[in-house]
Amino acid sequence: MVTLRVGQLRAMTSRHLTVPGNLEEIETICNLVFEAAREAGLDERSNYAIQLAVAEACENIIKHGYGGEGRGAIDVQTQADREGLTVWLSDTAAPFDPTRHPVNKPSPRDDPPAGGLGLLILRRSVDKLRYSRRRGKNTLRLWKHRKADST
Amino acid sequence: MEITTKEYKRLAVMTVTGRIDSATSAEFETAIQTVIEGGKRNIVLDMADVDFLSSSGLRVLVTTRKDLNKSGGRITLAQLSERVQETLAIAGLDVLFESFPDRESAIASY
Repeated sequence: MVTLRVGQLRAMTSRHLTVPGNLEEIETICNLVFEAAREAGLDERSNYAIQLAVAEACENIIKHGYGGEGRGAIDVQTQADREGLTVWLSDTAAPFDPTRHPVNKPSPRDDPPAGGLGLLILRRSVDKLRYSRRRGKNTLRLWKHRKADST
Repeated sequence: MEITTKEYKRLAVMTVTGRIDSATSAEFETAIQTVIEGGKRNIVLDMADVDFLSSSGLRVLVTTRKDLNKSGGRITLAQLSERVQETLAIAGLDVLFESFPDRESAIASY
């Protein structure tokens, strides 16, 4: 006899969006991630954290990858499953691996540098981060796991 | 993002609502600079209704703090929303800024 527990099988839901690489579009992307994170059952804090990570990554793509606004698109895909949320961000900008770029850790006791905060926040806001480049396209994959007691 | 500023004799209270991110940080910085250029060296930033703060906004806060400290002034944060607290904590900057649970105590600190 098989016993099925309610909530044990979580349907995988996915979303997909392509936007122009403009800074004002980051809010649109964040709204998509917010909905996807809710579907994945992330708590409020985790939901905000993955939005923050995605916003930082997109700002990097636009400002540093493409070298400015209106120069390329950002493709966003999300997948919610029983473990949490996965987000893929793809672009056709110059190669840039945010997982390997050196980051200065800010020191509250001294005067912290104003730069480098974006990458720091990106890395600290997600559970896992992976970069790949194939056929002229960068893809950054971000994972945010559900907490054990999230519903 | 919306910013309203109320100027007093010794300080200015700036109330920010909405997102402080890469799309709005330039406007945020301009608003602060306008207050400073108007002669105010002490700023209370009411962030109760800031629902998103990214590194772009943090950069403005860090730079403003540095500049005001150099000229004998200071910036304090009041009524930090959960989102603002979260960004500050993730960036490791939660102990850098003076923050108060309400506007009144922030104003009284001057």
